[in-house]
Formats: sequence, C-alpha cells, structure tokens
Amino acid sequence: MTQDHVSPGPGQGPPDHTVADEIAAARAEAEQGGPPPGPTVESVNETLKDGINRCSACGSTDVRLRGSTGMLVCLFCRHEWQEERVEEALGLGVGIDELEGTVVLGGAADIADENDVLTFTCEACGAEVVVDTAHAMNARCHWCRHTLNVNRQVPNGAVPDAVLPFKLTKDEAVARISDFAGKRRFFAHRQFRKEFTPDNVLGVYLPYLVVDARAEADYWGKGEVQTRRWTEKHGNSSTTYYAADVYDVQRSVRFTVDDLTVEGSSERLTTGPTNTNNIINTILPFDTKNAVRWNASYLVGFTSEKRDLDVDALAPRVEDQLLSVGRSQVQGTLGTFDRGVRWEQEKLDVGGTRWVSMYLPVWLYSFQRKPGDLVHYIAVNARTGETMGSIPVSQPKLLLAAMTVGTVLEGAALAFLGASA
Amino acid sequence: MMSLDLPHVVLASSDDGSLLWLLAAGPAGAAATYWAVYRYYRNTDKSHAFERDTIIAAEPVQGGERKVDHVSRTQRSDIDGDNSDKHRERVHRAR
Repeated sequence: MTQDHVSPGPGQGPPDHTVADEIAAARAEAEQGGPPPGPTVESVNETLKDGINRCSACGSTDVRLRGSTGMLVCLFCRHEWQEERVEEALGLGVGIDELEGTVVLGGAADIADENDVLTFTCEACGAEVVVDTAHAMNARCHWCRHTLNVNRQVPNGAVPDAVLPFKLTKDEAVARISDFAGKRRFFAHRQFRKEFTPDNVLGVYLPYLVVDARAEADYWGKGEVQTRRWTEKHGNSSTTYYAADVYDVQRSVRFTVDDLTVEGSSERLTTGPTNTNNIINTILPFDTKNAVRWNASYLVGFTSEKRDLDVDALAPRVEDQLLSVGRSQVQGTLGTFDRGVRWEQEKLDVGGTRWVSMYLPVWLYSFQRKPGDLVHYIAVNARTGETMGSIPVSQPKLLLAAMTVGTVLEGAALAFLGASA
Repeated sequence: MMSLDLPHVVLASSDDGSLLWLLAAGPAGAAATYWAVYRYYRNTDKSHAFERDTIIAAEPVQGGERKVDHVSRTQRSDIDGDNSDKHRERVHRAR
C-alpha cells in the first residue's frame, strides 16, 4: 500500500471552530461593544398580528387546517389558502456551502421570558382572554366565541419560525397505531391490552430546531490488512491464526448538511431507560422543505409543546451529529482494511450553521400503567406516516416463552450429544 | 430417564471438546428469544438515522495511510476495537 497523502496530526493543523466556539465568540464580541448576538434573520409573518385571523374572503375567524389538503380553510365560506413556504420566503434552500458563523432566525432566538401565559384583548368584544402558550397558541373568546391567535414572536420559545402542517388525518393515525399495536398483542402487558384505545391519540406540534451546516471533519486511527491466515492442529482441535499489517489511517471530509433536525424540548431530548423519547426521535425525518410561515391558525384543534432549549444548549448535540455524519461519509473509503479500522481521534471544524425553529406534527398515543411508571409512546409522523412505538411487555409471559424455547433447544442438544456418544 | 442419561452424555462429550458448546444452546436460545421479542415490542434500540436520512453534500474524501507495524501471529480475526461502522461512538476529540 502506498502513502498518497499524509495530513498533519491532531494539534498540528489549524485550530478548529465548533458551533459552541462560534456562539461564544459572538457573545464576547457583543460584550466588547460589537454587534449584539441573537437573531440575524427576522422571520415574523408581517401579514398577521396577535388576535383575530380573519378569512380574507368572508371575514370569519373560524379558520383551521384542512388536513387532506394541508391548507387553511374557512369553516364558514370554505375558502382555502396557505402561508408561504419558508424555504423560498426566507431563502433557506440556498447558500449552505457559503454559511459563515452562526445564523439564528428570530423564532430560534434565546428564550428570554419564562412566562407562558399571555393575555389578549379580544378585538371583537373587548374581553380579556388568556392563552397558555405552553400548550396552545389559540383560545376561544369566552364571550363572543371568536378564535384568538398568538402570531407575534414572543420571547418564551412558543412561537417558531415555521410550522409544518398536519397531513395525516386522525383516522389514518388511529389505523396505523392499531396496526402497530395489533402486531404486538400476544406478549403485551395485560393492562395495556385491556385499556388500549387508539381513538385517544392526540395531535401535537412538537418543537424542533432545523439546522443547516457547513463543516469539515478529520479522523485519525489504526487500520489492519490481513496478510496471512493459517490453521494449526492441537491434538483433536485446531486453531486459526492471522498475520496483519498495521497502518496509521487519516481521513478528512468537507460536507454540508441540509435540515438536520434536533428536538427543541429538554423533555424530548434525553433518551435512555427512564423514558421512551427514542420512539419520537425515530419517526424523523419530516419533509421540512414544505414548512410554511408561522400562522397560529394551523394549530387550531391541536396541542403544542413549546421550545425550552436555546441554540447554544443544542450546539454540542449538533456537533456530535456532524461528526457522525462525517464518519459515515468516510466509511466507504476503508474497504482496503479488511480487518477493520479503529478510529482514535476526531476533529470538527464548523464553518457555519443556520438555525430555524419549527413545529412539526406528530400523532401521539401514550400509555402509563400507573403514575410514576414509564410512559410508553406510539408515535406517528403526521407527514410521512412512519410509525414507531413502545409496547409494555408482560414479563411472566415473555420469560415463560424464553424458557420454553431454551428447554426445547437444550433437550435437542442433549439428545444429539447422547446419540453421538 | 433424562437424569440417568445426563452424566453419561456430559462424560462422553468431555472427550470431544468441540461438541461441548452444544450445551449452551438452551440458555443462549432462551436469552436470544427474550431479547428478540423484547426489542420487537419496546424498540429501545431504534433512533433517527440522520446519517442516512438527511440531505448531505460531501466533497471527495481526502486522506492517506502509512504502514507502521506488523502483527505476525494473532487469534483475533479483526482489529481490536473496530469502530469503523459505529458512527455515533465518539472517540477522543482533538481540539
């Protein structure tokens, strides 16, 4: 094997820049009197204001999403329309290979206000109406029945830059959840089987940050190429031995990532044995290219969960994912090393990132045996229909099945050994 | 009947070490059945395959390799600690 190129080792190359470094640099610059950090691209939907969203044809405020078309529909005159796609409206589909620094859209800006409750004055009757933005972005005026909407950017993370409307109807989601659980009925926990009611599925907009990034990743490690393989006899048994050449391996790749999607809620971000958040993570990706400008009317009839994580809190997660993307990109160049490669060091240089906050649509069925127990989710991607879930298992039944299989196999093994003896 | 046969079988198979592993078939089969069904129901191993499902535009991979050693005799069929396909397993981060 010839050495075609050797790059400087770790520490010998130019200093790398991470997302966290970019953010820290921006803050330091602001403290020294430079331009302030924060949103660099405004995403406010200027055609809307807080309060009443009226149908442009008849003036009614009974507006909601029509799932089958993905458009807003006036329930009074059936007029349909939709907001602009942010991909074109905010120029998100271009310039990823020229990104510099950290670009944060207005809806992804740092959360500065923890207050979830907003109070509106109804434009129709003057009543004071309260909206709890932690769970909903609309409220009915209790006096005149008009629907009021939160459309302006509020600094509590509740209003994103864009929303991807629901496409799958509730009936379609119920069918998918029933099918998923139906295939996993036999070993399911008795209480789950008894209480399973797919009609209780809930449509919820979950908060995500969608990231475009330009990066370069470097990897260093050891690779081995087999040079010989032979077998030696030791009495009745034999042992196989190998000889191999060992190589220092280095790889480097520049790449751009378009619409990398990470959870914007701390409750959903952590995965492990104490939760089933990986289920909701698995139904990614969404067709985020079809996300439209924020209009709270898209949320009528659904619940929402507000974002509570800032860009700098998510930067380490994104860096990890970029390193993983780089590793997957270089894997195809390792075919020569038939005994494998052990990566030992890696380095990430982030040229630029762009952060957009979005509400993405999920049909969610949850089950909890008793308060304090693990919450099991069955989640349906309300755009692609991808379904994933966690079904609680009946341990006694599963152990009995495993022991039965083990006993049969052991019996067969003993019978075989007896016969061969 | 089985209790009478068992000592005979174990003694017989001890003479031929290559067949002893068959005795592990029962416990291994039970464990495999348990985990296969558990994972099918709980899906604890699933997550978003962002490495594959995200739009990625990469330039040609650069790099090289240099022979530094030779292993003349080992029973290992692959390199120790092969992580070339474990993309999410982080290693030392050079700064």
